[in-house]
Amino acid sequence: MSSLGYYLLLAAFVVCAYALAASVAGARRRSRRLIESGIGAFYLIAAIMAAASSIIIYAFVVGDYSVKYVARYSDSVQPLFYKITSYWGGLDGSIMFWVFLLSIFGSAAVYVNRERHRELIPYVVAVISLVQMFVLFLMIIHNNPFETYLTENPADGKGLNPLLQNFYMVIHPPTMYTGFVGLTIPYAFGMAALITGFLDDSWLRAVRRWTMISWLFLSVGLGLGMIWAYEELGWGGYWGWDPVENAGLLPWFTATAFLHSVMVQERRGMLRVWNVTLVIVTFFLTIFGTFMTRSGVVQSVHAFGEDPELARLFTIFMVSILVISFGFVIYRLPLLRSRNELDSWVSREAAFLANNWILLFSAFFVLFATMFPTLSEAITGERLTVGPPFFTKWMLPIGLTLLLLTGIGPLLAWRKSTLINLRDQFIVPLGSAALAGGAVVALGVRVWTSGICFALCGFVVGTIAQEFWRGARVRQGSTGTDLLTALIGLVVRNKRRYGGYIVHVAIVLLFLGFAGEGFKQDEQVLLRPGQQAKVGDFTVRLDAVRVTDDGQKQMITGHTTVFRDGKELGRLYPAKWFFRKHEEEPTTEVAIRRSVSEDLYLVMPAFNLEEQSASMEIVVNPLVNWVWVGFGVLAFGTLVALLPETVFAFATARVPDNAVTTSLLLLALVLWPAAVMAQSVQTVAPTERSAVERQLEGEILCTCGCRRPLATCGMFNCQGHASQTAKLRQFLSEGKDHDQVIAAFVGDFGSEAILAAPVDRGFNRLAWLFPYLAAIVALIGIVVTTRRWSTRAVPAVAGDAGLDPALSARLDDELRNLD
Amino acid sequence: MSSETSTDSLQPWQLFTLAGLIGATVVVFVSRGQTPAGIVLLSLSIFAAAVVGLTAWRTFAPLSGGDQPAGPQMVAGRTRVALEREKALVLRSIKELEFDRAMGKVSERDFAEMGARLRARAAGLILQLDAGASYREEIEREIARRVGGEAAKAPARSGQDRGRSEAAVCPACRTTNDPDARFCKHCGASLEKTA
Repeated sequence: MSSLGYYLLLAAFVVCAYALAASVAGARRRSRRLIESGIGAFYLIAAIMAAASSIIIYAFVVGDYSVKYVARYSDSVQPLFYKITSYWGGLDGSIMFWVFLLSIFGSAAVYVNRERHRELIPYVVAVISLVQMFVLFLMIIHNNPFETYLTENPADGKGLNPLLQNFYMVIHPPTMYTGFVGLTIPYAFGMAALITGFLDDSWLRAVRRWTMISWLFLSVGLGLGMIWAYEELGWGGYWGWDPVENAGLLPWFTATAFLHSVMVQERRGMLRVWNVTLVIVTFFLTIFGTFMTRSGVVQSVHAFGEDPELARLFTIFMVSILVISFGFVIYRLPLLRSRNELDSWVSREAAFLANNWILLFSAFFVLFATMFPTLSEAITGERLTVGPPFFTKWMLPIGLTLLLLTGIGPLLAWRKSTLINLRDQFIVPLGSAALAGGAVVALGVRVWTSGICFALCGFVVGTIAQEFWRGARVRQGSTGTDLLTALIGLVVRNKRRYGGYIVHVAIVLLFLGFAGEGFKQDEQVLLRPGQQAKVGDFTVRLDAVRVTDDGQKQMITGHTTVFRDGKELGRLYPAKWFFRKHEEEPTTEVAIRRSVSEDLYLVMPAFNLEEQSASMEIVVNPLVNWVWVGFGVLAFGTLVALLPETVFAFATARVPDNAVTTSLLLLALVLWPAAVMAQSVQTVAPTERSAVERQLEGEILCTCGCRRPLATCGMFNCQGHASQTAKLRQFLSEGKDHDQVIAAFVGDFGSEAILAAPVDRGFNRLAWLFPYLAAIVALIGIVVTTRRWSTRAVPAVAGDAGLDPALSARLDDELRNLD
Repeated sequence: MSSETSTDSLQPWQLFTLAGLIGATVVVFVSRGQTPAGIVLLSLSIFAAAVVGLTAWRTFAPLSGGDQPAGPQMVAGRTRVALEREKALVLRSIKELEFDRAMGKVSERDFAEMGARLRARAAGLILQLDAGASYREEIEREIARRVGGEAAKAPARSGQDRGRSEAAVCPACRTTNDPDARFCKHCGASLEKTA
């Protein structure tokens, strides 16, 4: 069976080569036969990959442990569900899954567009086949998932990594991969347009939809990854700026930029070279992200390990992508020349330029910071760490600017906004920003960044509400219906715009959740049965520590009761699970009590069964649920924007499961009955930690290999954590201040690799300075080019005068019928 | 499953679905001692194989048929579709511009200027499309004219200048001239209209 699978992969490779050759030859010789045959071969690849996939899943399900991949990533006690999903649990399988998804997605795209973009299709087939050929080649010579043991087949497998045995982790990778492979489609269309020279805006229209679909999957994938990190890794947060996470974020930034700048091209015919470039860069970043996480170039918690051979192959591939793609762009520059003209700086075009600048800068910054350790190793020989503190520090202003632009952009008119327009447009949003800001100040907010964030959220919400309100009023005036019907009609008639606004609401919700991070409370405490600890409004009492076993794993559960202001809220069960064959890496099962305003997040990092004691990490995460709701709204908004033109029934827009479950969950938890119960028990004060100590815990890395700062290391019985914390306490008790402690740690460790962010000195200054420099250079570039555009602006053409009155009447007629 | 009797022969997709179903049935009987999940996956593999067969047929069937060049008619169809799409887009832009004005986002002056530009473009596109619609008729008239040898009453235009004004046809001798011609190439009469 497994050799059959391998032959299928070989066959797929050959068919890819055929599809490539047939469609290129067909396109050049204008032979319908060859083109059709090439398309058929393209479908054939998808069929072959489906067959190969079902064979490997079969091997997992029946437990064919003679296949190395099966033996490595599954075992007999695993539930069926996880056996199936082990398919993408490891490197080789995930690559195969990648090709499978790409072939399915590509076939769908070709099938849908085969009539509409006939002249592009052969080259689309060729480009996607080429990408598939590369990955298949990798599998055949290097990462064959069907490889078998030559002798001595193991009786049972090693089992899937316990951390991956989580529902979100099961659906996260496919969603993410779908987003990644989906971005190959725009690239293929872009390249086809470049090769054929059909560079009018028609290829963009084909591409926009597919970019949006991929963007949807990518966003939801990122969201699921965040939920997974939050629920499974147990360090109290959801985003750790890990290279693997960043790899998913990079193409997200550029795809977002593309979705915005494509509007400028559609509307004004500007930025044509830029849009092609964005498509290419986005695709490149998906490949680069895969490369980063698969080859071990960048160290990460969940990368797949080092593999220089793979790195070499990927490098060759990436360089050829860049050279060939941009070669074609340069070759086609004459055709891409566009009538760029910028009438005013206060226009939507300018806002889009600013938006692109910020998004591209974000992508560039994340890329640079992720690669910095590798760079510094290559140049200074010392592998530094660029961790969460560095990212938070820099991404905070960038994110806030982006949020501000989210609010400003829709208010500006195309071409030029006049002063009167501006006053008229900005009054409501500014008022709502002032209201939100004032409310936050009145409530006594300590964290100013969060305060600004809330005010900006108010601004954006004001903008969007105003857009919907005014739009509905205008439509009401023209159609004479009631306001609600007008509102729905408005959205239905212009799905992309209002779908986009819904996505903006989602962004606001996300930022609301991020702002909550500023009010996070985090305490560690050692509890014995009957003892309780108080964090914020919550009191947590440990009742018992119990041991259970379900055959696959041993579970040690802390039974706790939670009170809020003396009222019992319910019971929570944080646990540690020790999976068979993975005893050395137990999983942390977090107990979370969700509510609209905050989450109570309980982790049991360590326990002592004899004493029945458990150390508890009690985290209060305000507003975190709005992040998940935000992702739900985002998916909903994108679906609205994606609705085909013919679908008129707005009600048929399905709410994504994600949103439904999250909202239901939230509702259920809000309405959870709370029993009143008064008890007198001993209260234990949380471990005393000063502000400096907390700050340092975020800046010094744990040494257990988790590559996280001390504060967020979620490893069980982590030696590094204990020793580092002890050392930190000792230094502080010696009366050392912040800088001295840092110096002492660097001295002890022998390098700055112990710090989560490089010290601002020597070569490292580059890390701190570079983002700024890049941003400034990019800004100057934008200003220079746009200035050139504005001087080139042509005077306005004559009015309606030249138009034939009969024709004009006909035009009016058609316009009336359009609605 | 039986094949559709309305068509004379078995359609390829029917054949392969049938093969897949038979294969899956055989698998269920042959594979003893398998778990249900195993049997389901084996059946799925058989189906995947059937799809492989179908797509392989799809790959090779076009090669055996006669080849039509994928050239001119494709481009003609494409331009027409592209024109229509562009018209829809321009019309939508006008709508949106009117909407923006109603929302108070565009000043009256800008609206007049941009609106005029868009309307001019839309009018141009409508004219072009009108000309394209009668394309086939025109060819037929042209053929009739040439074959019949008599001067057709309908104005005949070459592909390039359809959509242009009638000025290209000489009022005196009905000769078709270049669209920018000022005098007839056959009789020398002035083509400039006294409009």
